Amino acid sequence: MTEIYLRLVDRILTPILLLIAIFLFLRGHDLPGGGFIAGLVAAAAIELTILALGSTATRDRYGPWLAPLLGIGLTVAVTAALIGMAGGGFFLGRWIQFEVAGETLKLGTPQLFDLGVMLVVVGMAVTYLLRLSEAAEAATPSAERQEPRP
Amino acid sequence: MTALMLALLVGLLFACGTYLVLQRGQIKLVLGLGLFTHAINLALFGTGRLTRGAPPLVDGESVKAAGSAAALFARYADPLPQALILTAIVISFGMTAFIVMLIFRRDALTGSDLLPGELAAVVNTADPFAEFTLRMQLPEAADDYDLLQYELDELYDHPEREVENARE
Amino acid sequence: MTPHPTVLILPVALPLLLGAISLLFQSMGPDRRVALQRTLAGLGLFANLAVAGFLLFWVLQSGPQAFQLGLWPAPFGITVYLDTLTALMLVMVGLLSLLIYPFALATIDPERAQLGFFPMMLFLLMGANGAFITGDLFNLYVFYEVLLMASFVLLTLGGTPSQINGGIRYVVLNLMGSMMLLLGAGITYGTLGTLNMAHIAVRMVEAPYTVQALIAGLLLVAFGAKAAAFPAFFWLPSSYHTPHPVVTALFSGVLTKVGVYSLFRVFPLFFPTLLATWQPLLLTVAGLTMVVGVLGAFAQPTIRRLLSFHIISQIGYMLMGLGVALSPSAYGVGFGLALAILFLIHNQLVKTALLLGGGAVELEMGTGKLSELGGLVHSRPLQATLFLVAAFALAGFPPTSGFIGKLGLLEVTFAAGQWPIAAVSVFVSLLTTMSMIRLWQSIFWGKPRLAPPPEVRAPGRTLWTTTPSAILVAISLAIGVAAQPMLALVQTAASQAIDRAGYVRTVNPALTEQERSLPLGIQSQPSERAGG
Repeated sequence: MTEIYLRLVDRILTPILLLIAIFLFLRGHDLPGGGFIAGLVAAAAIELTILALGSTATRDRYGPWLAPLLGIGLTVAVTAALIGMAGGGFFLGRWIQFEVAGETLKLGTPQLFDLGVMLVVVGMAVTYLLRLSEAAEAATPSAERQEPRP
Repeated sequence: MTALMLALLVGLLFACGTYLVLQRGQIKLVLGLGLFTHAINLALFGTGRLTRGAPPLVDGESVKAAGSAAALFARYADPLPQALILTAIVISFGMTAFIVMLIFRRDALTGSDLLPGELAAVVNTADPFAEFTLRMQLPEAADDYDLLQYELDELYDHPEREVENARE
Repeated sequence: MTPHPTVLILPVALPLLLGAISLLFQSMGPDRRVALQRTLAGLGLFANLAVAGFLLFWVLQSGPQAFQLGLWPAPFGITVYLDTLTALMLVMVGLLSLLIYPFALATIDPERAQLGFFPMMLFLLMGANGAFITGDLFNLYVFYEVLLMASFVLLTLGGTPSQINGGIRYVVLNLMGSMMLLLGAGITYGTLGTLNMAHIAVRMVEAPYTVQALIAGLLLVAFGAKAAAFPAFFWLPSSYHTPHPVVTALFSGVLTKVGVYSLFRVFPLFFPTLLATWQPLLLTVAGLTMVVGVLGAFAQPTIRRLLSFHIISQIGYMLMGLGVALSPSAYGVGFGLALAILFLIHNQLVKTALLLGGGAVELEMGTGKLSELGGLVHSRPLQATLFLVAAFALAGFPPTSGFIGKLGLLEVTFAAGQWPIAAVSVFVSLLTTMSMIRLWQSIFWGKPRLAPPPEVRAPGRTLWTTTPSAILVAISLAIGVAAQPMLALVQTAASQAIDRAGYVRTVNPALTEQERSLPLGIQSQPSERAGG
């Protein structure tokens, strides 16, 4: 059963990849990075789980969060755009600044929009990959398929 | 020189994409469409002029230092095409995902790598009597423009009826 | 009262917001989810029509409006632009989708509804509205893709094998069209250094003929493929008969018409000289589209396949209107475009009515094959009458809107001296009449051949499916009987659509003055974006 290596890699790499995704997302405001890339990295992490454990186990692990992810992401992104409407534009950037331990932090609609983009990318990519792997698993005769041991 | 190479690359990708799309088989179709999108993304990349080592954002100080707008333009990388390419990539990613799903469904249904219409053609040429029997089963009104498509639709929409007809 | 210009974005923002919200309920039970999505879609469609009506009212009161998203001045940010043509199209698409909604409520099966029919309807509306209202060429491409993505999902919803077959052809051919549009936008940016449509309009006239012809050719191919014009129409008849009839009706009112609208918007604005020099090309394409469409329709065995060939044929008339858009006539320059717009509106009304009527028959009888149908006039006199009136409207009989549109187009083509295309269009009208009568006869006349399946004869359903086509036919008749207000409206729309200086002035008056000080992108300078 070759999947044991993949499962080991999954156990080590998936948390790291998810952390990289968060890092890329936060970095993206002023430096290369951003929601789209972060979303792709997070989707890659989840795809690793799908490859290692199969689609059913992945659905069990990430559970009910995956299904509405696309909707949440879109709603967040549209909200960011609508907040801009308060300033008289659509997608107008609005910021609030505050001081934490001597550092000036900026929070604003661009980050909110980026978060929405990230969620949409993760939601869409993972839905697509899950559907594809489910279809592939259904197409494989069950004798050939090896169920991962719990 | 680099611009010429970029143009040649775009042309090459277009040529390969066209060749693949015109081949028989649905995986080749997906690959060909992928090459098309790459070609167009590269063409978009070329529209911003190819510069090396030039900044995409210029502040007021460097405008003064450069002296004139023309001198500044010579050392300036246009960031907009990259934004356009990113958008185009995202869109083509979604499109490719959708086409792959469609083709996967079709593959599961037909068990072959053949595109719509090709299946009927292959079916008809592989079995010398198949064309005749298929034609015999068609209603009279179907003797028209898109016969093969119609055959396929018939065959797919009512597989059980086709089997019955075949028994009779 | 002057509303804040932010309302201009509402036709895009409203369906997007409601569509996004209706995707939130994925982890709920399917029944509650569908109920919520249905409510949201109804709300969205109604609000959208209200907004569109308000925008039309506003634009008639105080002229074209523009709004800069993100408040960046014109060539730098994305602009939305609203004139009478845009507002008319917004109202038409809003009206059609609102009228299709009750039909969908009555006929869509729970399985398709659970797969997300109603959110996708909102996203389709958002894409169409965005394509109408945007003033930026690349943004137009993006909205086309939104529209296409939603239409792909709607087309293959349910996933029957024939839908997948049709879906693959539709996706591939439309993707090619979008690529041409993207390439056109890229070349526009590379040569003119701008993507803002007002700015392109300023710079395009100064560009050399090769650049103009290249961009115009790419855009013509792209929009022509979307509109199912002559060489690139194959995707339409091979896919439109496969999905649920509601989807076909929605597509016929929205999808191809967005392509035609883009041609109407882009050609008079960017290429006023090419409209004259390319007139033979445009008219040839128009004539071939008409003839091929109507001849193809004669050979079709089912209701929706026949009607989808008529969609192609009618697109030819709109292209004919585009060909003579700027030709001088007794009613002034731009009368050709006005008639083309009127014909577009007429076609949206009548075609949707026909497809809804035919779709209802198909759903109730369980088949759309002409050889198996017949004699339905006895059991459905109202449906038969509506279908007949709509069929005659399509053929161009008085007193319907089709008569006004065709008569006006003929007059303009005669005035422009284009006898051949006028003759072709009259001949095609004759063929259309024959084909439509044949269609009506084989569905409604004669002896009943097929008993309808008993489970679908609920009386409430007939009301829901017939009322939309009744309203559409009534509007068509109203336009035909009292044509003057509508003619005045489309003449305003056309005069604003060909008013290039007005477009630029509305978007940003500084654009024309800027041209004096900034180098044109063609002359070895990268772009104006750094200098601005």
